[in-house]
Amino acid sequence: MTEMTETQTGPLPDLPSETAPVSKAVVIWRAIFVLVPLIFVIFLAMRLGTAKTEHRAEGLAPPLEFTTFEGETINLDDLRGQGVMVNFWASWCDPCREEAAMLESTWRREQGNGIIFLGLDYLDQEPAAKAYLAEYDITYPNGPDLRSQVARRYGIQGVPETFFIDPEGKIVDVIVGPITSQAQMDGFLAKIRPK
Amino acid sequence: MKIRSISFIRILVFSLILLSFTSATYAQTPTPDTSAITADQVNEVARGLWCPLCSGVRLDACELKACEQMKDMIAIKLAEGASEVEIREYFAEQYGPQVYGQPPTEGFNWLAWILPVLGLVGGGLFVWYGIRRMIRPQSASDPSGAETTGAQTAAQADDYSQKLEQELSRYD
Amino acid sequence: MLFNIGYLILVTALVLSGAGVVFGFAGGQLRNQRLVESSFHAVYAVAGLVGIAAIMLWYGLLSDQFQLTYVWNHSERALPNFYKFSALWGGQAGSLLFWSLLLSLYSVAVAVFNRRRHQVLMPYVNAVMLGTSLFFLILLVFAANPFKQSTFIPADGQGLNPLLQNYWMVIHPVMLYLGYVGLAVPFAFAVGALISKRVGNEWVRTVRRWTLIPWMFLSAGILMGSQWAYMELGWGGYWAWDPVENASFLPWLTGTAFLHSIIIQEQRGVMKVWNVVLIWLTYFLVILGTFTTRSGVLESVHSFALSDVGPLFLGFMILIVFGFLWLLFKRLYLLKDEQSIDSYSSREAAFLGNNWLFASITFATLWGTFFPMFSEILTGERISVAAPFFNKVNGPLFLLLFLLMGIGPLLGWRRTGMKALRQQFTWPLIAGVVMGVLAIFLTPNPWPSVGLAICAFATATIVQEFVRGVIARRMTNNENVFVAMGSLMRRNGRRYGGYIVHLGMVMIAVAIIGNEFFQQTTNVTLAPGAKVELGGYELTYVGLENNRASNRTEIGARMIVHDSNGKMVGSLLPLRNLYDKTPDMPTSEVGLRMTLTEDVYVLLNGWENGGSTVTLTIFINPLTAWMWIGGLVLILGTLIASWPHPVKRTTNIPVGAAVAAAGD
Repeated sequence: MTEMTETQTGPLPDLPSETAPVSKAVVIWRAIFVLVPLIFVIFLAMRLGTAKTEHRAEGLAPPLEFTTFEGETINLDDLRGQGVMVNFWASWCDPCREEAAMLESTWRREQGNGIIFLGLDYLDQEPAAKAYLAEYDITYPNGPDLRSQVARRYGIQGVPETFFIDPEGKIVDVIVGPITSQAQMDGFLAKIRPK
Repeated sequence: MKIRSISFIRILVFSLILLSFTSATYAQTPTPDTSAITADQVNEVARGLWCPLCSGVRLDACELKACEQMKDMIAIKLAEGASEVEIREYFAEQYGPQVYGQPPTEGFNWLAWILPVLGLVGGGLFVWYGIRRMIRPQSASDPSGAETTGAQTAAQADDYSQKLEQELSRYD
Repeated sequence: MLFNIGYLILVTALVLSGAGVVFGFAGGQLRNQRLVESSFHAVYAVAGLVGIAAIMLWYGLLSDQFQLTYVWNHSERALPNFYKFSALWGGQAGSLLFWSLLLSLYSVAVAVFNRRRHQVLMPYVNAVMLGTSLFFLILLVFAANPFKQSTFIPADGQGLNPLLQNYWMVIHPVMLYLGYVGLAVPFAFAVGALISKRVGNEWVRTVRRWTLIPWMFLSAGILMGSQWAYMELGWGGYWAWDPVENASFLPWLTGTAFLHSIIIQEQRGVMKVWNVVLIWLTYFLVILGTFTTRSGVLESVHSFALSDVGPLFLGFMILIVFGFLWLLFKRLYLLKDEQSIDSYSSREAAFLGNNWLFASITFATLWGTFFPMFSEILTGERISVAAPFFNKVNGPLFLLLFLLMGIGPLLGWRRTGMKALRQQFTWPLIAGVVMGVLAIFLTPNPWPSVGLAICAFATATIVQEFVRGVIARRMTNNENVFVAMGSLMRRNGRRYGGYIVHLGMVMIAVAIIGNEFFQQTTNVTLAPGAKVELGGYELTYVGLENNRASNRTEIGARMIVHDSNGKMVGSLLPLRNLYDKTPDMPTSEVGLRMTLTEDVYVLLNGWENGGSTVTLTIFINPLTAWMWIGGLVLILGTLIASWPHPVKRTTNIPVGAAVAAAGD
């Protein structure tokens, strides 16, 4: 924007009256003056737009691939036909601890019923994360979300945040914050259970 | 108004470390002995890193639990003999370039560095030409004092300024 | 019931300000005295109504009306009244109401002072001021109603954000808003001048004063925000270049540029287009800053509740940008330069250089602030642009700017001859070089040495100007030194007030150099009686102290400070405040011993077993006190510069006039 504003430090062409023809250079400068703020405002609008719609509930789940702490690579596309729960968490996150034990016990119950649980560790350190997994004896696949790539794609607002993806790969529910009760959890699972 | 950015972070589900020391001594993973690493050594490295959860908070000043864990990690890495640069790279790999607190000089992010310089040089040339055109022929004087900087930037003329020059000649 | 009326009052104010905009523009165009009168009445009425609305919200806060969502969210019974009062600007809706209040007060002040003086401009000025009020009232009525009520009456409120419960956080937003809001006035005048085709020099003089006052408030607000950050955030610094801070800094930069370039327009009749562009940019940056801090565009990952004000702000910004550009293009033919610049070694050229640097810094700051947004939209990768970027990019530019600040006053208008140059530059250059050489012994790092040298150079310039001015007055009027000083300030307040502002800026620069390059720090864990040494001081931990306040518990670590001679120089109590409503958000208050040469700054990080050990971060911050002293000097200078002064000035000044006036 410096260019745009600096233009005016120079002398202006003599324009005898309001209706005088404007030179080509002046037209170019005017265009710059209009276009630069316009582009800026468009970017702001885009940002405002994405900030609002980032949360893509009821849409097709964005691609998801990660490597678990055990070194196994998991891709969401391979899990079509099963209901998938994706849970974003971190070891430094206290509210995550409220749901951790319940998630694990549900996993143990549902394991064979066409439902898969995935845990993505958000902005965390491996030693602390592994300690957390050990503390709650978590057995479903968990892995670090390196560079927060998945988190960004899913537009999470914080941790914990849980996505329920149906067998067709559509996001059915998004829960921001911990899931508080088993009944609530079962309600969400019912929606993604393969028929 | 600084307040708002900070409160944002804290309104979140993200939890803040409490005043007591978190007993982050998990026995499961064997980690190198960090007892020889002082807090000052850790902070020396942390000063060059930015909290990935906050905006514009330096890691050494960040009290989020996540930051405490990052600092623990720095201590572990230091105990392993890693250099400051290696540690910074490690965190960038984990969290992305946002931990640097400045755009990395690669790809699109070059623009962050180049555009201010272009703006400075372009604007300087413009002012310089503007003054030169204004100065009446009879009072042509030596460029001195405040304008030496303008003259210097003229020497670094690049594509951009050539274009600008063309534009200016049409402007006449 | 009462608060339903409050909402109705806002709706009425909205309608009235809308009508006032129409009255103003139509009255000005049709030269209809009755319509013009109506626009004045609209200004007064809107101010009255917004004032009543603000008083009602204050009443709601002070009498704990928790059925109001705003009060419930930002107050509690146990909150001290002082903070209940300040909670008016502690949240989104309330601060927008406060903003509208200040804006309408400014509108009234402008209307009262300029009613006679600028009869042709005033209808448009009223219209633009009311237009801005209209926008904020639309926000209040449609997107952020401060009188929103819940169906039941909660027993107690959520409490005010603990970070806001601090003396500086009470006054800092007021100052900042007074600055922000006041910058609408010059914009209103610029629009009025362009529409009415009265683009001569009369409005420029008025606008200069109406810019200086908001500029002073903005400067004070920024410095108070820094003071707060320094005292509360506990990282030993005062400025983090985060988007919210930058939002307040950007209009300050363009406003400062304008205050300089307006002088050349007054004196030489040049830079007319550039000056209106600067006014417009300043106003735009004010609105943009308000938008970015409230819409979450720059912190979207962190924002839980994106408020509805974003799209409205965007619409208003589009109106400001394109409405103004359209007007400017239509009136461009009127804004011809009357004279030209004669030489590079002239004060005009120095002012142009000043504007070039300010524009560059503004651009770099704006670009850096919004770069994460561009980057994320275009590449999808999140990056952060924080202090390392801004220090690298803006640091050298500020050095140049301070150099120019030293050079500028040494140059005369139009042209400065070689003899005058030599005479003017000798002493300041010597001062700069001596300082630079001394500084090299202090540190191997070239940046602080260059910085201190430039500061010395600029200071010497200012001192020289004062000395010459005093000598001249003593010669011609036979006054003693103090009387001569006084009459310089009185008769030539703009010039010498400006120099005092420069002096304040140099002090701030010195503080920044000291804090940035010579800071020492250590992090220690101490048991009672244990000592730590840093920077020639010895700090002893005595014990933990508890104190119960109305809505919080304060826990502090008592520290005794001895200097290198073993003499006890102070007792510090760095605090942690645990608020009842938000126990997981402890705030901190550093223990500080401030002297002119250095601050001992102690932050309490945490403790174990009720104080059997404490962890502290200790900083020695050299010269930091000069930042706040510089701020006071800056305000003093601004007041002197904006004080009404008797001297009439001419637009055509002979070559080298300034140097001659300085009495050589």
